[in-house]
Amino acid sequence: MDDRIRKLELTAARIRRNVLDICRQRGGYAAQGVALADIASVLYFDEMRADGNGWFHDRFVLSNGHDAIMTYGALAESGHYKMEDLRTINEDGGWVDQSPIEGQLGFEITAGSLGQGPSQSAGLAWALRHRGSDARVYCLFSDGELQEGNVWEGVMFAAHQKLSNLCYIVDNNDMQASGHASNVMNVEPVHDKFAAFGLHSIRISGTDIAELIDAFAQARSVTDKPSVLICDTRLWDGIDCLQEALPMAHYTAKTAVDWDAGLAEIGSVIAALEGVVG
Amino acid sequence: MLLKNSQTFDPAPFDTISFDLASRRKDVIIMSSDLSKYCQVVRVKNELPDQHLDVGMAEQNLLSVAAGIAKGGYIPIATCFACYITRRAYDQMLICMGTGSGPGTNQDIGPTNIAIGFTPGIANPARIHHQAAEDLGMVRAIPNATVIDPMDPIDFRAAVEAAVGRPGLTYIRGHRGDTPNLLDPSKFNFEIGKTYKLVDGKGLGIITTGHATGWSLEASDLLSERGIDHSILHCPTIKPINEEEVAAFAFEHDQIVTIENHQVVTGLGSLVTEIISDIGGGPRVTRLGLPNIWAPGGSMTHIRRVLGLDAEALANRIGEL
Ligand SMILES: Cc1ncc(C[n+]2csc(CCOP(=O)(O)OP(=O)(O)O)c2C)c(N)n1
Ligand SMILES: [Mg+2]
Repeated sequence: MDDRIRKLELTAARIRRNVLDICRQRGGYAAQGVALADIASVLYFDEMRADGNGWFHDRFVLSNGHDAIMTYGALAESGHYKMEDLRTINEDGGWVDQSPIEGQLGFEITAGSLGQGPSQSAGLAWALRHRGSDARVYCLFSDGELQEGNVWEGVMFAAHQKLSNLCYIVDNNDMQASGHASNVMNVEPVHDKFAAFGLHSIRISGTDIAELIDAFAQARSVTDKPSVLICDTRLWDGIDCLQEALPMAHYTAKTAVDWDAGLAEIGSVIAALEGVVG
Repeated sequence: MLLKNSQTFDPAPFDTISFDLASRRKDVIIMSSDLSKYCQVVRVKNELPDQHLDVGMAEQNLLSVAAGIAKGGYIPIATCFACYITRRAYDQMLICMGTGSGPGTNQDIGPTNIAIGFTPGIANPARIHHQAAEDLGMVRAIPNATVIDPMDPIDFRAAVEAAVGRPGLTYIRGHRGDTPNLLDPSKFNFEIGKTYKLVDGKGLGIITTGHATGWSLEASDLLSERGIDHSILHCPTIKPINEEEVAAFAFEHDQIVTIENHQVVTGLGSLVTEIISDIGGGPRVTRLGLPNIWAPGGSMTHIRRVLGLDAEALANRIGEL
């Protein structure tokens, strides 16, 4: 178990590095990519099962389009994307979108118009179950998205249909475009809200590998309702020196942080973990 | 009517428009949906907090709450990106904000409901989801609605001021960030419906609105250099547009070209062809704008180049007619 955890920690650190490497080119949603790296590591490298054809048997639906940076960081690590391509993100004439369109590898839905993943993933989970598939569906969305009515319409459907093959992951980072969610439009108590809707609700930090492994296992063991992992991440989690960009770190401009300092910090984390991972 | 050789930009048109308006009119409430910063609602938010209301990222809620506030005796100005305020909340716009002026009646009664959509069309770099290429068509289909696509900070300001005095739903496309000052405020008199001849010529008539009026003026310089005579008619009001003025302009010319930062389906080009074909026997109309395909993302300069809407391409396309 220890080795499994260390390996996933190392992968998470490398995802963080990839995120910085990509975002330093033109700016981007670096703080989210960094904070979600542990979730990405466990999800893509431990929890979701392979399909034997180089892709996944289980399905991941990214609802919060700009969190694509998390997926890019992870799929660069798995070899599905090349870093030299990802570094062209948002370049005029390039194909790597900051918020991708349905059909691009790793992106099941067009997600830049936020709040539409919970329903689509519920529909997907219903269809998979209806077809007799054992594939599980994971859907990541944000606290900002919790303000969209469409989210709760999907959650209600998922609970009513007892979609136990569906696992929601909420990036409950208390941040949205114009500041702290608690100031803009309070979404708490998030745990109680999901529980009241009939979901198995688990509240975790979202940045602890062992805790994430446990939470996903717990979600899998629930057989009569969907689950939700409420992850209290904080922007830039995992790279201390960049936290000075807070609180307005929803979008990190190219000039907003010292990318070299961040890369140096995460570089030493990687080096230390490489020392202990066999 | 145009400023001579203007090279100046307004860095934040709506910040001053909204602040001036809310300072003067205490019954105006500027509403945000987590995009105050991105719609440049900064001074009202910070300095007039009693007149600012944020509903969070919830566009349907934005427009429904706005309509409630209007029914409670205030004038709501709901702000968001153009894509979300129209596409995401179209039913709320139509039902909650749009029916108050009285189904079947004219626009002379009912509460004032204003919605402003920022970064319309290809003014937003994030392709498809953030690009509203159909908002004008959607809103102009709503009976009694007023729809305005201003070209610069001057007619944008005038449109907002006019909307405040108008019953029913008004939808305005907003300008954000460095916006070129093109109109001369001492010579330009905004009236809802009115059209403005910015260039007076013969033969070829260009009809434009919004961002595309600026594009047309750029192309106009090239056309003049090439000796191609032409006129430009700026139509800030898409609905209710003065149809007689549009028709008169059209029938004065041999060829009409429409240019818009919007799909050629349902937008200004469609509107102009509707007006001309209702009369019959008019000139041919060529519709330029965003084609009915998914536009690319990126800077506006880049997208215009790809879609043949930069000054050079426009001048070529018009010159070839
Ligand atoms: C339907 C919709 N409305 C508005 C926006 C504009 N927008 C982009 S991100 C964002 C804030 C979302 O909050 P969250 O995802 O929690 O932000 P983060 O935690 O990543 O900072 C908003 C309002 C959008 N993309 N989609
Ligand atoms: Mg958030």
